[in-house]
Amino acid sequence: MMRLSSDSTRQVRSLRPAHSITLARTLHPGAWWVWAIGLAAGASRLTNPIGCLLLLAVAGFVVSARRSRAPWAYAFGGFLKLALLIIVIRIVLQALLSTESQGVHTIVVLPQIPLPSGAAGLKLGGVVTWEAVITAFDQGLQLATIICCIGAANALASAQRLLRCLPGALYEVGVAGVVAMTFAPQLVADAVRVRSALRLRGYDGRSVAAVRRSAMPVLEGALARSVDLAAAMDSRGYGRTTVDRRATRMATAGLVIGGVVGICAGTYGLLGSAGSGWMGLPTLGLGCALAVVGLVVGGRRTGRSRYRPDPWALPEWLVAGSGVAAAVILFLLAHAHPGAAVPPYPLQMPEVPPLLLVGALVGVLPAFLAPPPPDRVVDKGRPR
Amino acid sequence: MTPDPAPRLAHSGTAAATDDATVTSSAVTGGEPGSVATNRAATAAQARGSRQPHAILPLRLRSALVLALVSLVGLAAYTWPFFLTPGAALDNSHGSDAPWFFVALLPLLVAVVVAEISAGGIDAKAVALLGMLAAVGAALRALGPGAAGLEPSFIVIVLGGRVFGRGFGFVLGSLTIFAGALVTGGVGPWMPFQMFAAGWVGLFAGMLPRCHGRVELAMLAGYGAVAGLVYGGLLNLWFWPFGAYSPEVSYIPHAGLGVNLHHYAVFWATTSLGWDIPRGLLTGLAVLVAGRPVMAALRRAARRANFG
Repeated sequence: MMRLSSDSTRQVRSLRPAHSITLARTLHPGAWWVWAIGLAAGASRLTNPIGCLLLLAVAGFVVSARRSRAPWAYAFGGFLKLALLIIVIRIVLQALLSTESQGVHTIVVLPQIPLPSGAAGLKLGGVVTWEAVITAFDQGLQLATIICCIGAANALASAQRLLRCLPGALYEVGVAGVVAMTFAPQLVADAVRVRSALRLRGYDGRSVAAVRRSAMPVLEGALARSVDLAAAMDSRGYGRTTVDRRATRMATAGLVIGGVVGICAGTYGLLGSAGSGWMGLPTLGLGCALAVVGLVVGGRRTGRSRYRPDPWALPEWLVAGSGVAAAVILFLLAHAHPGAAVPPYPLQMPEVPPLLLVGALVGVLPAFLAPPPPDRVVDKGRPR
Repeated sequence: MTPDPAPRLAHSGTAAATDDATVTSSAVTGGEPGSVATNRAATAAQARGSRQPHAILPLRLRSALVLALVSLVGLAAYTWPFFLTPGAALDNSHGSDAPWFFVALLPLLVAVVVAEISAGGIDAKAVALLGMLAAVGAALRALGPGAAGLEPSFIVIVLGGRVFGRGFGFVLGSLTIFAGALVTGGVGPWMPFQMFAAGWVGLFAGMLPRCHGRVELAMLAGYGAVAGLVYGGLLNLWFWPFGAYSPEVSYIPHAGLGVNLHHYAVFWATTSLGWDIPRGLLTGLAVLVAGRPVMAALRRAARRANFG
C-alpha cells in the first residue's frame, strides 16, 4: 500500500504544485535561514552605512511581505530594538571611554574624571570628536544589520517545522524539544491560573513566599504531566523501531570520535602559529565531515518515516539562491572596491557603487518569489 | 523502506498504559530484542558509572570522551582572544572573522555531543521529563525580566542536573536555551554560546560531590551563585573581539595574554558585571529558597517513573 503511493508520488513529481511561486504555502524553514545567513555574511563585509541601511531595509521589506500571522512572526521588532541598543551602547562607550580622539572635529569637551592608575590609561569624559562617534555608529550599524538579518529568519521560518528537519541522531532530543515548545505556553497559562486561585483565597502574589506557593503547583503539574505523556508515548509504540547493530555502533563511535579529534586538532592549528599549516583548515574540514557522517550513520538507529515532509521545490531554491547570490556579490564588492565596502574616512559621504545596489536588489527578490503564507491569503480573500 | 510501526503499535497498545507500573513492564517486554539489550546495557552502565541514584542519560566512557574533547573546543571558542598566536590562520587584519568561525562551528559540536549522550537508548519517560523540564526553563526564560540580568531558568538546570546526573544536566541546559530561543523568536549567533555555557552549568551541577540536607543545599546555592557570575563573564567573550570600543577596553590582536586579560577585566567591570553579580546572587538565593521542595518534587517524579 505504502509502496504503491510512493511510486505514484514519484510519477507526478514533475507536476507538483509545490513548484508554483504563487500557490500559498509555508516555505521550507531552511530556505529562509540560508537566505538570512547569506545576507548576514554579506553585511559582515560592509561598514559602509548606506550599504548596511540598504540591507536592513531589504530584511524588513521581505519580513513585512512574507511573514505569517503566528506569534513568532512579530519577532523582527524585538530585533530592531536590540539593534538600536547595540548602536547606542557602541557610541556611548566610544564617546566616554576613548582616549584617542581619532580626529580633529570636536563635538563637545566633557569634564574628565581622573581615575586611579590601576585603570591603566582608561579615561572617563574628555574630548569627543565627530570622527570617533561616526566610526562607532558605522561599526555598530554593521553588527546591528547582521543581527537583524538573523531576526528576519526568526520571523519568517517556523520553529516547529525547523525542529522536524533535525538529523536522525537528534530525533529523541528533537522530540523533547517539541514537547518543551508545546508545553511552555501552557505552563504560563497554568501559572496565571494558580495565581488567580491564590488571590481568590486572599493571598497577594508579591512576597517570596507567594511566588513559592504558586511556583510549586506549576512544577508539580508539569512533572505529573510528563509521566502521563510518557505513558501515552509508550502506549503508542514510541521508540520501538530501534535498530541497534554492533557494526553500526562501532562505525558511529569511530566516526564521531575521529571527527571530534579532527576538529580539536584543526582548531588548535588555526589558533596556533603559522608553521603548522597542515593542522589548520584541512584537518578541521576532515573532522567536520567525519562528524557529519557520524551523525547521519548514528541517525539510522531510529528507523522511522517522516510524516508529510516539507517539500524543497523551486521557490526554496530561488529564496536560498537569492541569499547566496547576494553574499557572493557583496564579497566581490569588498574585493573590487575595498574603499566602498569599508570607507576609510568616516566624515566623507561613502560612495555607493552599482554592485552594492545589485546585491541589495538580489536580496529583496524573496519578497516576490516566495509563495505567500497561507494564513494571510485566506484573510485577504474573505468577503467583507 | 522503513519498517511500518503499525503492528508493533497494536502489540504494545494492548497494555493500556495509564499507570506507571504498566508503562515500565511494557517498556521491558514490548520492545524488540535489540531494544531490550540496550535497556539492559543502559541499566548496567547506570549501576557502574553513575553517582546519582536517579541518573538518566548516564555518561558512558565514549560520550564522556566526546564531551571532554568538544568542551575543549567550546572553551577555545570563548577564550581564543587570549591565546591567539600572532601569524595564525585566524589572525587576519580585520579581527572580526574568528568569532563567526566559532559561530558556524559550535552548532555542529552541540549536535554531535547531544547525539552522543542520547545515543545510549533514551526512552519515552526520559524524553517526556527532559521536554517538560526544558519547558519549565523556557517559560521561566520567557517570563523572566531579562533586563535585570536574572536567569531564572538556572534553578531548573542546576537542580535538574543535580538530581538526574551529569549527562541529563548537559542536555537539559542546552535544550532549555534552545527551546527558549525558539519560543521567543530569539535565535541568533549568541545561541550556540549560550547553549554550551548552560550545558556546562547543568553538567557541573551533576558532578558535585554527594551529600545531603543543609550541606547539599548550601553547596548548590554557592554553585548557583558562581555559575551565574561566570556565565556572564564567559558570554561577554563571544562578542568582545568585535568591538573597537576604545583601545583600553577592547581586544588588541598581538598584544599578548596579560594585556588582553586586563582589557577584558576592565570591559567586564564597566559593562556587564553590574548585571552578572545580581544574577549570581539571585540564582543562589532562589536555590536556597526553592531548592528543597523542587528537588523533592523531581525525586518523587523519578520514583514514580521508576528511573534507575
